[in-house]
Amino acid sequence: MSNRNNGQTAPVADIKLPHVNIDDLIVCLKYYVDEENAHIRIKDQAICAACNPKPCLAFCPAHVFETDRHGRMMVSYQACVECGSCRIACPFRNVDWRLPRGGHGVAYKYG
Amino acid sequence: MTGRLTFDAIVVGAGPAGVAAALTMARGGLNVIIIERGRFAGAKNLFGGVFYTHALADVLPDYWERKPPFERPVTEQGYWMLSPDSAIRVMHKSERYLKEPADAYTVLRARFDPWFAEQAAAAGALLITRTTVTRLLKDERGRVIGVDTDRPDGQVYAPVVIIAEGVNNLLTQQAGLIASDLPPKYVALAVKEYINLPAKELQTRFGLSGPREGVAIDVFGDVTLGLPGTGFIYTDQSGISIGVGMLLDEFVTHRLRPYEVLERFKNHPVVRPYLEGGEVREYGAHLIPEMGYDRMPKLAGDGVMVAGDAAGMVDALHREGTNLAITAGKMAGETALAAHQAGDFSAAFLSRYRRKLEGTFVLQDMKQYRRMTDFLESSPQFMGTYVNLLNEAALRYFTAHGIPKRTMEHEILKMVRERRSFTGVAWDMLKLMRAMRG
Repeated sequence: MSNRNNGQTAPVADIKLPHVNIDDLIVCLKYYVDEENAHIRIKDQAICAACNPKPCLAFCPAHVFETDRHGRMMVSYQACVECGSCRIACPFRNVDWRLPRGGHGVAYKYG
Repeated sequence: MTGRLTFDAIVVGAGPAGVAAALTMARGGLNVIIIERGRFAGAKNLFGGVFYTHALADVLPDYWERKPPFERPVTEQGYWMLSPDSAIRVMHKSERYLKEPADAYTVLRARFDPWFAEQAAAAGALLITRTTVTRLLKDERGRVIGVDTDRPDGQVYAPVVIIAEGVNNLLTQQAGLIASDLPPKYVALAVKEYINLPAKELQTRFGLSGPREGVAIDVFGDVTLGLPGTGFIYTDQSGISIGVGMLLDEFVTHRLRPYEVLERFKNHPVVRPYLEGGEVREYGAHLIPEMGYDRMPKLAGDGVMVAGDAAGMVDALHREGTNLAITAGKMAGETALAAHQAGDFSAAFLSRYRRKLEGTFVLQDMKQYRRMTDFLESSPQFMGTYVNLLNEAALRYFTAHGIPKRTMEHEILKMVRERRSFTGVAWDMLKLMRAMRG
């Protein structure tokens, strides 16, 4: 099939993206985890529970957000690359996002 | 009771804007502190990879003798326009790029930024790392008089603070220079991988004759699933920087995982052979402020100025940012020097900083492209439709079908009409022109 869609733009929803195991990418990053302080917190779990699209599960580039069996929003702040997307793009502004304490968090080797 | 820790100026953030400001002020004789939250300058910084030297030469005329850790000069650059199975590649290569120092280099920020910060330290600025500024200190009249940090007794005072905190502009908001967080339609999210490849192999693949040549490719179309945004492929010394960026809103609306969009790009039939056998050494993500000229923060308040990404100083169309940041940092630094001379740190005096910047490419370019983000947002299919169309037309054009060329031309025109009416095309072009001309 040399001509997949005759040059028409496929609706984005029809495009199948390759699956990526984010852990394979995160593993090459260097972190200095602040075990005592989570720099990202959910302000109100009830808001996440009622949030239907939960876009953070997709757009977070480090897949920091995941729901557990009971539907609670879990935050793996340890994997965060501190981009700030969740602070800005959470539809309910339900993410309390701060900078990690000095010297903690991600440390790029290349950047 | 010890005295307050006081400097002539405080710089928040040791990226290009902050370091340029600190360097300028230290050379002007001020006692300057740069406060950086990373373990070293650059630890938190990531960009696509092209650095323009003109702004660096302005703050550090002898930068070349100081051996900056550049990756490769950009001696060939251009665009790839991807459809799902094809690519049109428009590249410009010239002997005239082969000069030293070159106008543009690829750079890895965790290598470059520490070097740049060292130059400021050598000029006398005090660089404090591993320290997060938690808030601005203000006097009873709301004037900025210093910063608080996460160190014990971590208050630092100065009559002027230059905020170069980057795209996450928390202090800029606290200073009242911008009302709120940027909406996700005015911020791009970019993800990038640094892929290791032996220099020799890299040179063979990209047609480079040695370490003094390098390629910078910006990619449109299928790389972002036809959505507004770009991809990039830049050659480093012995590796490739590859990434993709789109408005954050697009990731939200279409529920896209950024690293999967990047993986799809890496697997494109035209891209894959360049990466073959390469080893992913690092992955990262960063926001890019694309709010444009009309939504920039105020650049100065009482006792405070803001520069670089924090101020939205990015020309996304030309992938420029660090050069805007360095130029702005320098102007902010010069303004702080003048303020010390005048003994006046009021918003009115510091507004000279903006007037200086208006005389440079920084604000002139930003003004010219003020409509760009809105244009892309209002024409979300722009890239996909036309890029695919071009690829289809090229396929017809380059294939001998055994049909008369006149028929082929008609077929191509018919194809255009099927996808977009002629008035639609004319309208798109007009809008694009308006966005380009400012």
